[in-house]
Amino acid sequence: MAIEIRSVSKEFKSGKVLERISLSAEDGEIVAIFGPSGSGKTVLLRLVAGVEQPDEGRILLGGRDVTDQAPEARGVGMAFQNFALFPHMSAFDNVASALTAHKVPRDIIRAKVEKIAALLKIEHVLGHAPRELSNGQKQRTALARALVAEPKILLLDDPLRNVDAKLRYEMRLELPSLLKASGSTVLYVTQDYKEAMALGDRIAVLSDRDFAQIARPAEIYQRPATINVASLFGDPTINLMPVEPLSSSIGPKITIGGTALSLPSSYGRMAGKPCVLGLRAENIIVEDTASPESVPVEVVAVTPLNERTLLLLHTNDGREILASEAGTNEAPRRHGAAFARFDPETVLLFDPASGRRIVPQAA
Amino acid sequence: MSVLERGVRGVLIALIVLFFLFPIFWIFLMSFQTNEDILRIPPSLFFAPTLSNYAALITGKLVSNAGTLDIAFMRNLWNSVLLSTASVVVALILGVPAAYAFARFKFRLGEDIAFTLLSFRFAPPLLVLLPLSLYFQQLGLTDTYVGLIWVYQLIALPLILWIVRGYFEDLSPDIEYAYRVAGHSWWRTFTRIAIPLAGPGIAAAGLLAFIFCWNNFIFALILASASKQPVTVGALAFVTASGIQYGQIAAAIVLSVAPTLALALYAQRYLVEGLSLGALKG
Amino acid sequence: MSEAALSIKSVDKIYEGRGKGPVHAVKNLDMDVQRGEIVALLGSSGCGKTSTLRMIAGFEEVTRGDIVLEGRRVNQMPPARRKVAMAFEGYSLYPPLTVRDNIAFALKSARMSPKDAQRSVAEVAQILEIEPILDRYPSSISGGEQQRASLARALVRQADLYLLDEPMGQLEPRLRAVLRGRLKSLLVDRRMTAIFVTHDQTEANALADRVAVMEGGVLQQFASQKDLRERPANLFVATFVGEPPMNVFESKVVNGDRVRFAIDGGPTFDFAASDIPLSVRAAIGRREKVVIGVRPHAVRLGVGSEDARIVSNQWLGDQSHLAMEVAGKLMVAVSHAPIPAEVGERLKFGVHASDLHVFDVGTSAALSHGLEAA
Repeated sequence: MAIEIRSVSKEFKSGKVLERISLSAEDGEIVAIFGPSGSGKTVLLRLVAGVEQPDEGRILLGGRDVTDQAPEARGVGMAFQNFALFPHMSAFDNVASALTAHKVPRDIIRAKVEKIAALLKIEHVLGHAPRELSNGQKQRTALARALVAEPKILLLDDPLRNVDAKLRYEMRLELPSLLKASGSTVLYVTQDYKEAMALGDRIAVLSDRDFAQIARPAEIYQRPATINVASLFGDPTINLMPVEPLSSSIGPKITIGGTALSLPSSYGRMAGKPCVLGLRAENIIVEDTASPESVPVEVVAVTPLNERTLLLLHTNDGREILASEAGTNEAPRRHGAAFARFDPETVLLFDPASGRRIVPQAA
Repeated sequence: MSVLERGVRGVLIALIVLFFLFPIFWIFLMSFQTNEDILRIPPSLFFAPTLSNYAALITGKLVSNAGTLDIAFMRNLWNSVLLSTASVVVALILGVPAAYAFARFKFRLGEDIAFTLLSFRFAPPLLVLLPLSLYFQQLGLTDTYVGLIWVYQLIALPLILWIVRGYFEDLSPDIEYAYRVAGHSWWRTFTRIAIPLAGPGIAAAGLLAFIFCWNNFIFALILASASKQPVTVGALAFVTASGIQYGQIAAAIVLSVAPTLALALYAQRYLVEGLSLGALKG
Repeated sequence: MSEAALSIKSVDKIYEGRGKGPVHAVKNLDMDVQRGEIVALLGSSGCGKTSTLRMIAGFEEVTRGDIVLEGRRVNQMPPARRKVAMAFEGYSLYPPLTVRDNIAFALKSARMSPKDAQRSVAEVAQILEIEPILDRYPSSISGGEQQRASLARALVRQADLYLLDEPMGQLEPRLRAVLRGRLKSLLVDRRMTAIFVTHDQTEANALADRVAVMEGGVLQQFASQKDLRERPANLFVATFVGEPPMNVFESKVVNGDRVRFAIDGGPTFDFAASDIPLSVRAAIGRREKVVIGVRPHAVRLGVGSEDARIVSNQWLGDQSHLAMEVAGKLMVAVSHAPIPAEVGERLKFGVHASDLHVFDVGTSAALSHGLEAA
């Protein structure tokens, strides 16, 4: 076990940020720590780095309890959100600082720095001061500094946040192979769910002082543990509708827009109980003609989004639903009356009181 | 801006500059005049310059109608340099780490202690002088350089503390964290990262403290004898029984002001930067 | 001839530098916005879009050229008299007034009856989902809520033109898609003419009828987002618009019996002369080098004569982004289904002539888009 966070809590004057939170990461694994801003992701990373101390709980790195160890003794590499480059040193010295602490001979330092700089494509700006670098170069220098000593543990605090959209996308493509090649165990903090899904072998979703779910990206997207997790993943946000299934001879049914729609029979036990229905935009099909179990809707707005088309739908019982289709076809005829249907198997049901997902049960 | 606006602006600036710099200018002139020229009515801008005032100061002998007087001005100048420099050095050695502690570590009563230290600058020195002189006598510190340097900390230390603390607070702690995570100890981080980055602030605080120490009059007057007194007190010697030697006073003033004026001119950029940077929040 | 709501004629904006020299923020801008149109000014920071908006509003003087609003030249007219409603970055809500009063304030000067004013406020508040905070003070609400309140304040007014500076930049990601839809709906229903500035092309595409892409003070292209995507005027627009952006490669071109694009250090796309229309071949002319582009959506996977090594395969829930190593760069392909291929594997890919964009190497101007000359 490369990293083990055991029941760690941390409180600040403003309140408790983490409460008995636990996480473990295997050697070479990339774990994405994802959550909205202010959820404590950065604090968690700092606890692992040793820059902050937990109020309770232990931190183990490579099996050793390091909770009481100073940061310089922990042997981790860290990249900060705002780069935290040393303004009075050249980019070369910035990167080399991770090696100079350990009395490495100068020529070996030079070789290692140049190697990592070439990998991150900053070899031509090594002589510059940080203020002369572009944001993208600063970010890569910060990454180089974290990687150069080939640490067993890599902590990346939202490294792509302060970088422009295009570069962020490029790095999102390059980072996974770079990180895998380094062989380090990585904790990667991000607020962008796409980044988490793209980079993480597993995603730990942090909200409300604890991890709501820790699982592989596909699992989190398709089987989110709570309403909160479901709405944090997916663009546009998942449609959430209060419904109350009724039993019928062919299984549970719900009513949307005046139309009765079937749910899988594995939700049979939810009949008569208020639930929240979760339906992802990409699972709704909007057509011009009715079909059995399609809901009459009015297409109120059509907007493109990331190589897909978003349709804002209004039902006759006042619900607002977003549907998304592949491709970019926004011919004006799409506005107006239409019909929406979905495959009942793609539906998610949540308990409104606890927010937890209701697991369908085999009959 | 139109030509008229520029012209009016120039005239106004000239007037203001004249208003503030005139006394200094006049004293500068006076230092090259004999007493007769100075006291002549009406005062005139034209005269035959003389270096006798400076000569008197430097040689230490004032020749006047009433005889020859020994003037220890050069000694006073040396005392000023010694006291101010030593006080600032001590204040920096004590104050910079303290400022760092106040900036980085939140400990109970931290703000109260810092404010108490600052309050030393609010109190008029006369308030503490009487008891201080008694203590000094008891401790045997009267008329010693050590005693004076110690007392001068009341002037220099709060200044250094508050200005340098502001600088340390402006440094993003992440930069220091990054250096520590890279493997360096707390001490190395302090000396290689915190101090260099707060450099301008430390220099500005040091300069300001130097100027304030140099200008101090009352501590040395009460707590030291003639051999240890700085120029501020030494200038009193020119008020003699046989009349006030305005020429020498003027020359003494010029020589007293010259070092700090030169320092301030050289470092004015840092002074403004140092004093205002605390206000900016990036 | 319908009068343009806004006409920008040959406008330049030069800021006098202080020590750094003058900054030519906007260069010879010509733009017409029709009544009821929604236009986005899109570009990265420093491209001139905010300067342009401020000149339209009247907060900046025009160095050269004219701004014409509803047929009237307004260069010297102060902002208050221009009949434009603005929501600028920095929110500028009045701290001592509640959100409700802030929004209603804009209507006081319009001399609306209090009842009508409250109704307008309620309407706009419902659309922007700020009903819960209507009676709070600006200092006690979040950045995203402040931004929505500021937006509401602009939208509730009756004006000839609505100017919005990064209207949704601070918004919580969860709300963006829904609020965009509603905002668009509102603007369209009331036939409001609106110009907004953004650096987020998703926002530009979602809201605007036409998008003006700016870079370095120069208008690169002013067209519908469909045209920007399918017929970008130059390389900048091609690689700026679209997420992921268009894949571009420098290549040698042979324009003969076969039309061959040989990417430097990479694969070759070979077409029969009959596959490429004459107009396109004429546009390419005798050039020996061009830049070719293909949108990620249009890369055909699993078929074709070339293959490349997969560098990353990311499934993002509703679409797949695949990156392959081509000519030392990364080529991205997007698919709406998961792609069962591992990193390190080689995958075949190809491009149809109808999806190929060709640009001039020197000027970066577009030569052809698919089967049509530019």
